[in-house]
Amino acid sequence: MSDYKSVTITKGQGGWGGPLTVTPTDDKPLIYSVTGGGIHPVAQRIADLTGGEAFDGFKSSAPFEKIAVAVIDCGGTARVGVYPMKKVLTVDIHATSPGGPLAQFITEELFVSGVRPHDINET
Amino acid sequence: MTATDSADTAGEVVYQTTVTSIGEQVPAFVAAGILILFADTAPEELHAISVLHQADAQESGPQPGDLIEIAGTTIPVLAVGHVVADNLLNLGHMDLKSDGRHQVKLPGDVCVPVGSLVEPKVGDTIRIRRRVPTGAETGASA
Repeated sequence: MSDYKSVTITKGQGGWGGPLTVTPTDDKPLIYSVTGGGIHPVAQRIADLTGGEAFDGFKSSAPFEKIAVAVIDCGGTARVGVYPMKKVLTVDIHATSPGGPLAQFITEELFVSGVRPHDINET
Repeated sequence: MTATDSADTAGEVVYQTTVTSIGEQVPAFVAAGILILFADTAPEELHAISVLHQADAQESGPQPGDLIEIAGTTIPVLAVGHVVADNLLNLGHMDLKSDGRHQVKLPGDVCVPVGSLVEPKVGDTIRIRRRVPTGAETGASA
């Protein structure tokens, strides 16, 4: 059994949604970074503070049900909808608001945007 | 690649890629005026909505005035959001929107004329050609 901690993630400047509380578990340990250039500093900080496992979604594939939170660098259309549609907590580092064809799935309970590392704090 | 390919038609190819698969939701997205590209290394949950591809040349993201060729159809680029270049060069990701807008609505949008999108097939080539002098680049390329 791992000892996981919780973090609260608040929206950054110009962002939308949240705050989200993220607590990894043994069933959902992954801090899933679907971003360019490897694991994003926002994902790394969530992993560092919670004890979750930072995971690069472009390097290898993860069982979807093991994701505690997805960190994306989405410009507003595709990823902002895909992860909330699947009920995965979603953090966009860009300051997007609900939009795109999947906008209906993007809610304040599932999604927060404009997030920088200092918007993540221990609960 | 710095030389202009052909004086009259096209200009320099700044991005070229080959389509490797078409997600099952792509026709519905194209019908709604959206074409989503991702590199074929993208995680599986993005495959259904995406045209997956393998880039042969990636020098720059698109700029307004560029031409995007999809399977022989040429589409002019009207507007480009500020995160497009990073997403394309890092993740092979691009959202084409046939909304006819000259100013983007979302930071990831690449706006093209209404009704201009076509659905590619596996094996098709997608290219971005630059007509403007390379000196006019915005510094978006890596």
